[in-house]
Amino acid sequence: MNAEFTRYEVMAAAISRELRDFENWFIGLATGSTTILLLSRIPIAGMALAQHTHAPNSFILVAGWLMNPVPSEIPTGMESEFGTLLRDWRCEGWGNILLRAASPERGEIHVGFGSAAQVDKYGNCNIVCLGDYRKPKVRLIGPINQPGHFSLFGREIIVIEHEKRNFVDKVDFISGVGYLDGPGGRERLGLIGGGPCIIFTDKAIFDFDPDTKLARLKSIHPGVSLNEVMEHTGFTHDYVPDSVPVTPLPTDEEIRLLREVIDPRGVLLPR
Amino acid sequence: MPQGGKYREVDMPGLREKRCSLSEAASLIKDGTRIAFGGMSVHNHPMAFIYELIRRRIRDLTIVGHVSADDVDILVGAGCVKKIEISYVGLEEFGLAPNFRRAVENGEIELAEYSEPVAFERFQCSARGQSFFPTREMLGTDLPKYNPDIREMVSPFDGRQCHIVPAADPEWVVLHAPMGDQYGNVLFFQNRQLPEDLDLIASRAARNLIVTVEEIVDRNKVLRLSHLNQIPRFRTTAIVEVPYGAHPSSCLQVYDNDREHLKMYARVARDPAEFKKYLEKYVHGVKSHMEYLNLIGLERLMKIRRVGGNL
Repeated sequence: MNAEFTRYEVMAAAISRELRDFENWFIGLATGSTTILLLSRIPIAGMALAQHTHAPNSFILVAGWLMNPVPSEIPTGMESEFGTLLRDWRCEGWGNILLRAASPERGEIHVGFGSAAQVDKYGNCNIVCLGDYRKPKVRLIGPINQPGHFSLFGREIIVIEHEKRNFVDKVDFISGVGYLDGPGGRERLGLIGGGPCIIFTDKAIFDFDPDTKLARLKSIHPGVSLNEVMEHTGFTHDYVPDSVPVTPLPTDEEIRLLREVIDPRGVLLPR
Repeated sequence: MPQGGKYREVDMPGLREKRCSLSEAASLIKDGTRIAFGGMSVHNHPMAFIYELIRRRIRDLTIVGHVSADDVDILVGAGCVKKIEISYVGLEEFGLAPNFRRAVENGEIELAEYSEPVAFERFQCSARGQSFFPTREMLGTDLPKYNPDIREMVSPFDGRQCHIVPAADPEWVVLHAPMGDQYGNVLFFQNRQLPEDLDLIASRAARNLIVTVEEIVDRNKVLRLSHLNQIPRFRTTAIVEVPYGAHPSSCLQVYDNDREHLKMYARVARDPAEFKKYLEKYVHGVKSHMEYLNLIGLERLMKIRRVGGNL
């Protein structure tokens, strides 16, 4: 790892490059402190960076209701998405359950962020249980909003800790539908959303082959070796292309924006 | 009699008082009831009422909800629950819900799971007096495989495949709110978000409604703050004054959730023996809600207090 920036800054900059102008982006509730960092704080930093660089007309929806909050003023580390403190976060608007800021069913959410205990080679995700549903080895949190993220949103960015057990051939329970069982899977279901587009981890980035719909390694973060990635990836299919580039480094300007404008207090990205 | 005497224009002779004690209100809930508790994630749960149900050793509840935390977890751990209809049971920043996890892994409770917006919409559906509604967001998931109430249908209008799901239809709803009067009007702050709005929808979905409030206020206050009256009294079966009645969850804009307590809960609930001690100390071992608050201590209660909230 280059000492000039942290891996969280690399991730935030990489996330910002996946986002486009004139889009609405959605993040929701996370469970557990690691997931809160990966799924809430790093994506907020990435979204804010995109807004400050190439996507000024985009819209951030935190938990679906807090519209375009001022990132540098985040009052907490996103420990709870409806806490009194978070309500003091200055923002452009508040949605409510009857008059939602954007309707997923109408295709008005372009990008969502999701995590999982398991992601499989076709991008299906699981946050319900490990093992058999009726007698699980580990019972997890339940589907919450993951079904809609994968069935209705324009595309889903999966953010997950790079542990071997998280990458499986087939998830034990589909709570977020990726490409189901391969090409044509989503089309058979008649889904309006695009499904998973990318898997971000603390070590690497995966995307999906447009023909086979299989996950494949897209880039490896600076300072991480291919061997280290393979040791921590449970996929058994051939997911390593002939050459895998290093994840593009944040530019000096991106680092300046992250440290001075977006997150001057280091709440979003631990330093 | 409220301070200031009767308000002749609105207090008719025979207007029924709905104020009662926590134990009187809890005695309305029988074994096997289909019940919904207010609040969302670590916020606004009627915890004092839930503790009273546990003290009364209620059994075989069917809980219908959406996003739950320690409210459902402690009821499961105390053996009060037969079935849960839900989208999430977890402790947000504190991780998985230990009793819920253990009970599901041991096959001790029945589950019917829905995605979160569908779980919300089930209450709206009840509030509209309908029995089911269509949705497409769970297509492709394994939820319908294990939840026979998620059924397939082809839309007669556009010919597309969809799911239909039943209304929430709770027999009883129990909420915790900031203020109310002795006749059952319930006041919410103007600055509401999803947890409070979901409680208001649940109040419209209820056949019978119990509300615990931080403070029972003078009738005159309701008349002056009528724009904050979000649950008109005819909906309310019983109203109970329980200050800090949502602890250790928050009562949003009055106090925050008690993070230290929830962190401790998440730890001790992992071990059945430790959890039993927790129940003995905080639930069975206290004779009243005031005794519980003494156990939590003034210092902690002051620390989580948020005077005025977000106004």
